[in-house]
Amino acid sequence: MAYTLRGRLESRVAAALAPLLAACVIALVVKSWWPVELAALMLAVGLALDAVYHRLIPYQPGWAALPLGLLELGIVMGLARLLDVAAPLAAALAFYAGAWLLAQVLAHAVLPLARLSYGDDGGELGRPGAAVAGLALVVLGSAVGVAWATQPPLVRLEAGVHEGPLVLDHSQRLVGEPGAVVRGGIVVTADDVTVRDVTVVGGEFGIEVDGAERVLLDRVEVLWAELDGINVRRSTVTIRDCVIREPIGSHTQGIDISFSFDLGPSVVERCTVTGGMEGIVTHFAHALVRDNLVSETALRAITLTEMSMADVEGNEVEDALGVGIFCGDYSVCRIEENSVSGTVADVESGDRTRMGFGILSHYGAEATLDDNRLRGNARPVGSFLRASISSE
Amino acid sequence: MTGPCAIVGGGLAGFVAHATLRKGGLEPAEIAVFGNDPDPAAVWRVRAAAIRQRRMRSESDGHCAPSSFPGLAVRAALRRRSVVPLVQTVADRYHPTVGEFLEHAEELRAETGWDESFSRARIQRVRAVNGGFELDGHGVFANVLLAPGHPGLAFPEELEGDPRAVHAYEPHDYAEEIEVVGAGMAAATEWLNALTAGSAVVSVRRREPERRPLNLPRELFTRRGLAGYHGAPAVDRVAFLRRYGAPSYPPGPAWDEPLERAGRDGRFRVAMEPNGAGQVICATGFKRGFRHDPLLARLVAEHGLETVEGWIVLAPDSTVPGLTDAGRTLALAGAPAQWAFPAADTLVGAKYAARGFLRRVRAWRTR
Repeated sequence: MAYTLRGRLESRVAAALAPLLAACVIALVVKSWWPVELAALMLAVGLALDAVYHRLIPYQPGWAALPLGLLELGIVMGLARLLDVAAPLAAALAFYAGAWLLAQVLAHAVLPLARLSYGDDGGELGRPGAAVAGLALVVLGSAVGVAWATQPPLVRLEAGVHEGPLVLDHSQRLVGEPGAVVRGGIVVTADDVTVRDVTVVGGEFGIEVDGAERVLLDRVEVLWAELDGINVRRSTVTIRDCVIREPIGSHTQGIDISFSFDLGPSVVERCTVTGGMEGIVTHFAHALVRDNLVSETALRAITLTEMSMADVEGNEVEDALGVGIFCGDYSVCRIEENSVSGTVADVESGDRTRMGFGILSHYGAEATLDDNRLRGNARPVGSFLRASISSE
Repeated sequence: MTGPCAIVGGGLAGFVAHATLRKGGLEPAEIAVFGNDPDPAAVWRVRAAAIRQRRMRSESDGHCAPSSFPGLAVRAALRRRSVVPLVQTVADRYHPTVGEFLEHAEELRAETGWDESFSRARIQRVRAVNGGFELDGHGVFANVLLAPGHPGLAFPEELEGDPRAVHAYEPHDYAEEIEVVGAGMAAATEWLNALTAGSAVVSVRRREPERRPLNLPRELFTRRGLAGYHGAPAVDRVAFLRRYGAPSYPPGPAWDEPLERAGRDGRFRVAMEPNGAGQVICATGFKRGFRHDPLLARLVAEHGLETVEGWIVLAPDSTVPGLTDAGRTLALAGAPAQWAFPAADTLVGAKYAARGFLRRVRAWRTR
């Protein structure tokens, strides 16, 4: 097809209409706006590229849809990551693939059947084209409007020290200005809460999340917590770019996510946890633990236990006492591309399972290992009590 | 007889127009078709057989159905239960066989009720009258599409009447030594045919042929390329039509390799002039220009239509401006419609004219 610019744009918008509607429906079902954000991003990228294609591609053979589609996919996924569109990768790819296939069917079959001169007109849709564009704008505008209207209120935390504990018991976005500090902890008990750019000092738990879903803790720093830096119970959270350091209790844990196996998976990524008894620990939870730096822990650096199901990827574990990464108590763990170094034996404990294992599987757990770098550990890998370790 | 629509010409261009009007909601009884032969592919079939054409130059979209989907590649894929035609068509490499094309034309003829609309009559005069056009004593029609086809086979002047000369589109066999005049698709096909038949071939041509997959660059089949063409002054349009009227045939080893082999064996060479071979095949196409067609020549003369050299000046939708208004339409299709669509003598060109005509008929019905 030798598209005109208008033909490209009108065909693009026509093909985007059904995915936009589908995105609205999916957004309602999953109670998240990422489908609408993704569909809007796909449309925006496509329209922008159409202006480029028009100059570079006077005639577009059918096969070109494939490389152009892959190019657009790469740009869309890159922008989605840059703009923090919270789309799960597999779902996003499936959505894109479905929309692409639909666009091909429309361009090659449905539109030529519906409009005899579709090809002659270079993909232009005539009067219906304006109507389709209007409809797409209405759908997109409505979705964005609803998203805007229903988004949690923004609460700005001014620079300075605020006495806690702060209790967040309704949906909101708490965003700290540079220098905003909460002393005595933050408690989250409502769904759809975001805490961003806040430093928390002291408290039993630096941040406690209890019975809440879709909670985002972004760029938070926790100092001097007594029990857990971040304590998550019966909740789903995404914790990213956090810093947990200088714990003051002898049993303090960095991040503890527990008892949420029946809920959606939680994510801990790009956090730095230093010191404490355990760095990142899950009990009976679904979790993705990736790209974190955990060091100088006294019991274990990363612990996945009590029938947890967890992916542990790309983490750096340094100078742990006893165990680096622990998969225990009938948990199922996929442990890939981590770097574990300097794990030393806890000789004083007299416990055979704490003799400086880089990775340890324990008590019926199943650990699958792939491409981990284990250096300078007293023992690289071990398993005890009917636990298994396998390699991919 | 009176009616909303008439098509003058029962060849492929008229057939495509009929199918398009049917798709647009007109009944067979509302469309009168006047032609010489009820088989719309009759003339084309003879020419294709004469040059032993096996595959169409056009691709999947080169068919007579009114919508481009499903094209012949899709039909072939379904019939053969193979994705190969679909893969070929997305790479612009699917060329249906002549047999597949003719079979499709037969099916479409039955589906569209062509025979109900068809009348065997040779229209020699079209006259504008109040509310339409009077067709040579066959009635007045508000909307008329003229698809008279090519006005005749073109022979080089020096070979007119030469007993050695036969036109490529006339049935013929191959002598031991032949000369093929011309350098387009028909000529290239004849080179290969004659070589296959064991002949020694001299290609008589005064210029090297262009190598293009289709008659024209692909963007000229859509509004993208046509916008510039339609906006160009007459002198530029003429230059453009002349340039793309020069002979061409598709690139590719299927054409080149047999010629190279034969060249090495001394069975194929190029010459500027005929040089006394026992048989001369004139692959020189068709006569060009409305003056060679008595119907069009009379139409122009009687109605004072604007012309530029051999072309009748048309609106971008292939209608004749001086004879088209809200109450009536006169349109051209096929080779005489090149002023509106440079590839008018292709199936895609026939559809372009037919779709424009359908729009006019619809507007006329709802006025």
